[in-house]
Amino acid sequence: MTEPMIEVDGVSKWFGDVVAVSEVSFTVGAGVTALLGPNGAGKSTMLRLLCGLVAPDRGRLRVLGRDPRVDLDVLRHIGLVPQQETVFESQDALEFVRLAAVLHGVDGPDAAARSALATVELDPDDRRRLSTYSRGMRQRVKVAQAIVGNPTVIVLDEPLTGLDPRQRRHMTELFHAFGDQGRCVIVSSHVLEEVERFGSNVLVIAQGRLAAEGDFRAIRDLMDDRPHRLRIRTDQPHRVAGHLLAAGTIMGIEMVDADTVLVETTEVAAFRRSVAAVARQVDAHLWEVVPLDDDLDSVFRYLVGRP
Amino acid sequence: MIAPSVSPAPAPAPGAARARPGGVFLAIYRLVLRNQVTTGRIVAVAALGLLGVLLGFGLAASDPVDPVDAGTNLIDRYGLQVLVPVVALVFASSTLGDLVDDRTLVYLWLRPVPRVTVAAAAALAAFTVCLPAVTVPLVLSALLTGAGSALVGGTAVAAAVGVAGYVGMFTALGIRFRRALVWGLAYILLWEGFVANASRTASRLSLRAYTRSVVSEYTGIGLDQANLSLAVAIAVPLLVAAVMVLLTARRLASADID
Repeated sequence: MTEPMIEVDGVSKWFGDVVAVSEVSFTVGAGVTALLGPNGAGKSTMLRLLCGLVAPDRGRLRVLGRDPRVDLDVLRHIGLVPQQETVFESQDALEFVRLAAVLHGVDGPDAAARSALATVELDPDDRRRLSTYSRGMRQRVKVAQAIVGNPTVIVLDEPLTGLDPRQRRHMTELFHAFGDQGRCVIVSSHVLEEVERFGSNVLVIAQGRLAAEGDFRAIRDLMDDRPHRLRIRTDQPHRVAGHLLAAGTIMGIEMVDADTVLVETTEVAAFRRSVAAVARQVDAHLWEVVPLDDDLDSVFRYLVGRP
Repeated sequence: MIAPSVSPAPAPAPGAARARPGGVFLAIYRLVLRNQVTTGRIVAVAALGLLGVLLGFGLAASDPVDPVDAGTNLIDRYGLQVLVPVVALVFASSTLGDLVDDRTLVYLWLRPVPRVTVAAAAALAAFTVCLPAVTVPLVLSALLTGAGSALVGGTAVAAAVGVAGYVGMFTALGIRFRRALVWGLAYILLWEGFVANASRTASRLSLRAYTRSVVSEYTGIGLDQANLSLAVAIAVPLLVAAVMVLLTARRLASADID
């Protein structure tokens, strides 16, 4: 793990009787980290806490070693793409991003704004008001205002909303490029396909609590109480599965068709070691061994308790 | 596909680059000024101003026995009790209130800019719009009454200090309450209209007492609650404006930003 740029220690936040974030602790370093959770899980509140937009009711939160709620200087190093679509409707894109540059104290705000808009593939000379922009274009303008100050920490709340597939790919590459430069990029999403493109490092929030953090494949491996499901394709599925079952390597079998069997195991490492040996032993041809639930979707469903 | 070209990450050296205070103030001032001037507001305020002018014209046409007394009461009842506070409420409560309502305040808040700069720029933007919006029709109205230069001068000064005080107050109200217009009207109608009339102490907590005192001092016509010296009547609303700007800044620093 790289040096932490964000440190969250026992942070809770509630609005009236509603607990939005409860006793959350994690650290995040350079690179892209996906903040994952269902709608209403507390993702946006967590991101607002990280930016100092709301104060934690309990716990301690530091960005680059300082409290973003009270330390104005650290805001110079934070760029946020908020979830809401609204922008300053009467401005054009260049004015909007230039304003952000001026407020950040960027030298040459005009050039910086033009560069940021070009980075998100918008025309700096487009003089149309932002009120006329499509959802996707607004989203890109929001990204431009977040990056114009060259921030070290970039926080993006559902940044791909409204973008077409090509723009989504471009933005994903852009976020990775920022991460590769040593910046801390936190991207929230409830769309799992998006998150998988951001990388494997995730923070999973469910019902205001941090359900898991780290590489989602490693998280899956650590979930010992949940049997892993794998699909085996072989010319002798009964014999292979039978031997594995007899050896105690697997705990369940489901025949799918003449050459395919689904197995369940809590001992993935042992299974991986023994499946080829068993196939050799019974003289079977092993065509395919595929894990069915170590993708992000499965991990997510397990963690948030969805069927 | 070619990877996107991006600037290298800066070393985290907080405080290395500073925003130029004058440039930041002007940028926020211009933004707020532009945002608050909407067609609906301009039409409403122009209609109120026009009504003031017509009232002055009507008063002159009625040929009053004492034009100074009649003119002073007209400026007090319509100008200082209605036009000044209502126009200030409409614009000042929206300066930051609109940004809260449409959730764009985050684009000003999440910047390394002192909150007092944001508050002062917003209040000044409202003052810039409100001052001509109330002073021009009221001075015109005072002129039309034929009451003389004392009423014209008193009207101009009272309107200006009143706008300053009310703008400061309603800018703070806009950041504090979601329904700032309702709260503002409640202050104007209930507090200034009723409660302030009940006692001398309560009247001192009403900006109307100060603006009335200014006009009264200029024209020599006695008005209810108008028992303050000119210096106090001018200084207190300005002080209120300054204090309210500081309270707005404090509120900005402590509020949850959506």
